[in-house]
Amino acid sequence: MTSFLQQCFNGLVSGGFYALLALGLAVIFGMLGVVNFAHGAFFMLGAFGAYLALAELGIPFWAALFLVPATLFLLGMLLERTLIRRLTPFDPLYNFLLTFGLTLVLQDAVKREYGVQSQPYPRPAELSGSIDLGLFDYPAYQVFVLAAAVVLCTLVWLVLTRTRVGMVVRAATERPELTGALGVNVGRWVTPVFAFGVALAGLAGVLAAPMRAVNPLMGADLIIAVFAVVVIGGLGSVFGSVVAGFAIGVAQSLGNLYVPALSQTLIFIIMACVLLWRPAGLFGREEART
Amino acid sequence: MIRLLLHHTEPAGRRPLRWLLLAAGLSLALALPWLIYPPVAMDIVTWALFAAAVDLLLGYTGLLSFGHAAFWGTAAYTSGLIAIHSGLPFPVAVLGGAALAAALALPIGYLCVRNTGIYFAMVTLAFAQMVYFVANQWRDVTGGENGLQGIPRELFGADLSDPFVFYYAGLPIILFGLFCLWRIVHSPFGHVLVAIRDNPARARAIGYPVDRYKLLAFVLSAALSGLAGGLFAISHGFASLQEVYWTTSGKAVMMVVLGGIGTLWGSTLGAALVVLLEDYLSTSGFNGIGLVTGTVFVLVVLLFRQGLWGAARQLGAAVSRAARRPAAEPPPPAGDAPAAPVHTTSTTSR
Amino acid sequence: MRKTTRALTAALAAGTLLVAGCGRGGPGGDAGAKVSNDKIVLAVLNDQSGVYADLSGKNSIEAVKMAVADFQAKYGDKAVSSDIEVVSADHQNKPDIANSKAQELYDRQQADAILDVPTSSAALAVAGVAKAKKKLYFNVGAATTELTGKQCNKYTFHYAYDTYMLANGTGSAVTREGGKNWYIVYPDYAFGQDMEKSFSTAIGSAGGTVVAKDPTPFPNDNFSTFLLKAPGLKPKPDVLGAMQAGGDLVNLVKQYNEFKLREQGIKLSVGLMFITDIHSLGPDAFAGTTFTDAWYWNFDDRNRQWADRFTAKTQTRPSFAHAANYSAALQYLEAVQRAGTDAADAVVGQLEGYRYDDVFARNATVRAGDHRVVHDVYLAEVKPKSEVTTDWDYERILRTIPAAEAFRPESAGGCTL
Repeated sequence: MTSFLQQCFNGLVSGGFYALLALGLAVIFGMLGVVNFAHGAFFMLGAFGAYLALAELGIPFWAALFLVPATLFLLGMLLERTLIRRLTPFDPLYNFLLTFGLTLVLQDAVKREYGVQSQPYPRPAELSGSIDLGLFDYPAYQVFVLAAAVVLCTLVWLVLTRTRVGMVVRAATERPELTGALGVNVGRWVTPVFAFGVALAGLAGVLAAPMRAVNPLMGADLIIAVFAVVVIGGLGSVFGSVVAGFAIGVAQSLGNLYVPALSQTLIFIIMACVLLWRPAGLFGREEART
Repeated sequence: MIRLLLHHTEPAGRRPLRWLLLAAGLSLALALPWLIYPPVAMDIVTWALFAAAVDLLLGYTGLLSFGHAAFWGTAAYTSGLIAIHSGLPFPVAVLGGAALAAALALPIGYLCVRNTGIYFAMVTLAFAQMVYFVANQWRDVTGGENGLQGIPRELFGADLSDPFVFYYAGLPIILFGLFCLWRIVHSPFGHVLVAIRDNPARARAIGYPVDRYKLLAFVLSAALSGLAGGLFAISHGFASLQEVYWTTSGKAVMMVVLGGIGTLWGSTLGAALVVLLEDYLSTSGFNGIGLVTGTVFVLVVLLFRQGLWGAARQLGAAVSRAARRPAAEPPPPAGDAPAAPVHTTSTTSR
Repeated sequence: MRKTTRALTAALAAGTLLVAGCGRGGPGGDAGAKVSNDKIVLAVLNDQSGVYADLSGKNSIEAVKMAVADFQAKYGDKAVSSDIEVVSADHQNKPDIANSKAQELYDRQQADAILDVPTSSAALAVAGVAKAKKKLYFNVGAATTELTGKQCNKYTFHYAYDTYMLANGTGSAVTREGGKNWYIVYPDYAFGQDMEKSFSTAIGSAGGTVVAKDPTPFPNDNFSTFLLKAPGLKPKPDVLGAMQAGGDLVNLVKQYNEFKLREQGIKLSVGLMFITDIHSLGPDAFAGTTFTDAWYWNFDDRNRQWADRFTAKTQTRPSFAHAANYSAALQYLEAVQRAGTDAADAVVGQLEGYRYDDVFARNATVRAGDHRVVHDVYLAEVKPKSEVTTDWDYERILRTIPAAEAFRPESAGGCTL
């Protein structure tokens, strides 16, 4: 029983990363109709940013947690203004292709500069111990990551549901034409929302740096799993991405323990089943699929 | 009704040009191993067929598949296994690979075609990744990360070990595949696909079973990708995990976009460009292949969405317009563009 | 194009023969005529931008050039050929590119031998090319035992390391030193499965027990499942044997430290680790970890002297792969010298059964039966940062594993040349 609970907890920790990345993807998709292939690359840039901040500038983890996403926010704004925006009049597939190309460029630029070897990043000293969770001890840092993911997702949810900005974004996400028809100026929110999604990926990257290998390819395989998560949750649905993120994390973790042969394919098998049962995803609406 | 949606009806006057281009392309394909290193020439034509098959979906059906490596790779493994264990002539092995790719495409396609646009791209990518994991673990069949090695080239006892000779043995398969694609695109079935691409709701309203058409296109595209993948495995003498990895799908899509979406022949240009670039960079000492290909790709998507072929076609149209204008022909009224085939299907519709 | 190339080659060959015939009268003169194209071409085909770039990459080309220089210095005028060229290509870790490039190197660049080729699928693909072209091939960078097993061939030699040597060395040595109970986690693909099998066999024959073994997903970034399970196993394992490599290994080690398994009495032994891994993450991340190394630059004076020369050229310390490429190139040239020709079959004849001792390969033998080059290897432990005195001084050599024990017995691989 204890081991079962431990596994669930492990799953929630990796699910936290899925949820943060899927959330960013969902918000960007909702607002711009763009699926950002480069999301994994931004996650990598976040982790690399944390490493560089510490190694080159001596900026500690806690400061990097704010500075790196802020920098990526600016990068996101720049990219939206200079590249993404130019393609919004065309089919959204072009932006998907654009961000695919961008992924290759970002990955290789980092690779050329710093090599493929993993870079060191220590845990912050405050979180180096472990915490007694009642039934078992658990590394404090992992507990912090889980808490941070939950808090962030909740915050984003609150902003989307309780503030005026959030209402506009949510309305634009779910009924873009109607929102425009009601005279709401959706356009001015496009850049900040894209940049926010990028910053969220960067933040997930900073959180990952102390517990995962920091190298240029760390986002490449992750992004495909996150795509599957988003498909399972429903592409248009912010709530669905978060729930699916945590759920898939737990399912994978339990899969590791009980059906190790299937642990890698499990996420895709779940996706196939969901597609059969509800083609739009668990929380998606039919229109969002096109 | 459907014909109104088409733009592939060309003026009769352009026919000779088409035959001329076809002849030029064919002679280039025949001359290729004299011009460049034969194994590289073989790579170009196999990738060309793969990219053209991806274009059947992307350009003519409006479906961006980011998971075609699953079919290319499955066929590569299957053809390899047939060649190793049966000793049959290699074209039979290649056809067997293509058949299995088509069989795999049926269930995957069934789940995917109900989605369109970006959703379709993500779902195909995810399924291909699943195929990759299966290939990685099923080492008794695929050899795991060692790959399936030592695939023979058997053709009634002929000595095909020279890549120069093998090019001519394999080329008919490629030409057959390209011919199939050309027939499909210009058949009534192909016209329905274009109609679905341009306006699925309308096509459905007219009474076409849209999903079934898309599924058939998906399976055909997978089969032809499999034809290319099988030949690729035979020509290299092995099949590896690289063949089912998502970067392979990405490479094919990149070739299509560089060459020009929805131009079929453009894909062959894109394939030649990417293969030659990779070959050149491997000895140039510059170690940033992704940086180069990524930047070129981003620029093409931003600035030349019609791709190489599309740009050439546009240029050709402009030249012929300019040539015609000084003649007796009255200038076209403003706003009424001449009916030259400048439509490069630049939008792939949602 | 082909015809012109052929004609050109013929003309060139005739020309050089003429020049050689007229110009030279010395003792080396008639030996030169036995070398194809009047020159020897060594080709380094490896990964210059991906995961193996630091381990081997461009600096291996430097190592091969050092071997050429040393060979020329040793033989001077008596060298079998005065013209020795080193060429290279980047296979980007893609087997298809490796395959095409290998053909091109043999055919067009007239390479007499190809060296290095990391990544097992690429390595095996190039072995196929070497076999078809009947040209020599020394693999250094790949770990698969297939090269000297079922897929061995007459022209392929395997240098440096392989999965059996890594697993056998660490597994038996650590068990003998008191790590009786093992918990093995291995990535669920061919490399990991092979490592696990070899480890389990080695542990068993050294008197230890594998308490449990678990396949892990690949790639994987969360190893908590397995790390949490370890202390609860009965009997409690003394050693965690991790077969992961690259980024996955880094993930695992980070989490091993987080879950404080060492403090709970479970040591870490790693199947595949390179000095470049330790360098990139810093020694403290791996401190106390044991693994098998094919060569270590700071082992003795002989190694240090060579390493200093290497460092003068490359500004970095050599990995075992650099030293192995040097050694393979040098031994190839020596064999050509002994044979008096670069004709592949004659050189293979000179290499088979040859015993030698050079800076990389101590007490080495080129086994005639499977072309495995066997030599002494080393059980190493990663030093904590506090004990590191100079740059790259990361390893403490616990013991030398003699050549005869280090590698898979010749009969066990199923190789028929």
